[in-house]
Amino acid sequence: MKYGFFPGCTFKGAAGYKESTEAVSQILQTELVEIEDWNCCGATSYWSLEDLPALILPARVMALAEKHNFKEVVNVCNACYSTLRKAQDKLAEDERLMEQVNEALAEETLSYTGSTKIRHYMEVVVNDLDPEEIKKHIKVNLKHLTIAPYYGCQLNRPWGDIDDLQHPVMMDRLIETLGASVATNYSAKTVCCGASHMMPYEKNCLPQIRRIVSDAHAKGAQAISTLCPLCQFNVDAPQSALDLPDIPVLYFTQLMGLAFGLEEKDLQLKKLLVPFKMAVWGG
Amino acid sequence: MDNAALKEKFFEKYHGEELQNCIQCGTCSGSCPLAPYMDYGPRQLFQLAREGDMEEILKANTMWLCVSCYNCTVKCPRDIVITDHMYTLKKIALQEGIQAPTTKLPALYKSFMGSVERYGKITDISVMNRYAFRQPMDVMGNAFLALKLARRKRLEYKVHPVKNLAGFKKVMKKARELEKTS
Repeated sequence: MKYGFFPGCTFKGAAGYKESTEAVSQILQTELVEIEDWNCCGATSYWSLEDLPALILPARVMALAEKHNFKEVVNVCNACYSTLRKAQDKLAEDERLMEQVNEALAEETLSYTGSTKIRHYMEVVVNDLDPEEIKKHIKVNLKHLTIAPYYGCQLNRPWGDIDDLQHPVMMDRLIETLGASVATNYSAKTVCCGASHMMPYEKNCLPQIRRIVSDAHAKGAQAISTLCPLCQFNVDAPQSALDLPDIPVLYFTQLMGLAFGLEEKDLQLKKLLVPFKMAVWGG
Repeated sequence: MDNAALKEKFFEKYHGEELQNCIQCGTCSGSCPLAPYMDYGPRQLFQLAREGDMEEILKANTMWLCVSCYNCTVKCPRDIVITDHMYTLKKIALQEGIQAPTTKLPALYKSFMGSVERYGKITDISVMNRYAFRQPMDVMGNAFLALKLARRKRLEYKVHPVKNLAGFKKVMKKARELEKTS
């Protein structure tokens, strides 16, 4: 299957997200074709300070996808995912904004109709692939590994149409398919990581991170899995300030890669701040 | 702008009129991760808006502490899109030149935008370089973390701009022109 792929700005610098996503998508034959000449989605900065430019940024990405005849745009970042969807909703309900967006995009001979479906790669793996097919690629038994699935905010909120709002289960299902155990009743699944507020207001956001980490420990997890570069960074980086035992924070694609027998270096696990060593868990 | 004009802008241009549906139940404030640090929780803020005390609202740090987690929005029993109203209040505050004395968020947002306007993209470094000029202590405090990231080759020093940068900038310029005339 072929998808238009919007990597977003943080994908490349994220700890092994790029390497693991590329390796895993090749194994699963979910072809992610980068949307040529994409730009930043604008994220919360533009929604906070701008009207029309906040819509133009995501609309340009979607217009480029339309130009190259992609029916679906796959994201790997919750903020990109929600920004594209939010822009799509706002433009669908306001003809005047739609006209203005197209007038601006015409400067680059682009046009936006809103025809693409906005998706997240985790959800693509769970919904478009047969779990039995995924299982065929498993080479490493992960049954001794318990994972706390951390979804963050902007995948499922505010829509709640691809999974349950407060208790999403999609990544839980993926973890089970991979043969690992899911930490039961992990209640911090959708607690906010603090997003960009971690920079100026770290003290105020640390209680959130404490909850995400301590609940993972309390539910017997040995690692947390994430699906967004900012979530991963915010839960990984400040752990030394928490006086709790460290817990590694992996991307769901790295977890898949481990199950598929890829090497730690293929998945760039050494880029994680809290190290994850497969050997410790027996494999 | 006086209170009445500000309220009109909020309620009419930015659809704030749906706040009339608020039943003051406080679910928003109760579900907000950063409400304890806000001058007013969202519930109080919306009551002040209905009473027309816009100047007081725009001085508050409330909307600047909103992280856009949408927890309040999905829990509101009156289906008020609270997060979007927080975005609106940030925009009006800056349009009016009002900034809560304690908030550093405009500096962060502007640093982010500075990189996007120049390259069409960001990297951690391209945003932090700009933010360092505005809030040097925040960036200095993270120097050790930056070192750890650098050692793991996680910092991107160079921004790879959008290919058609001239075209991208023309589109953004046109958007701003259209916004002014509308």
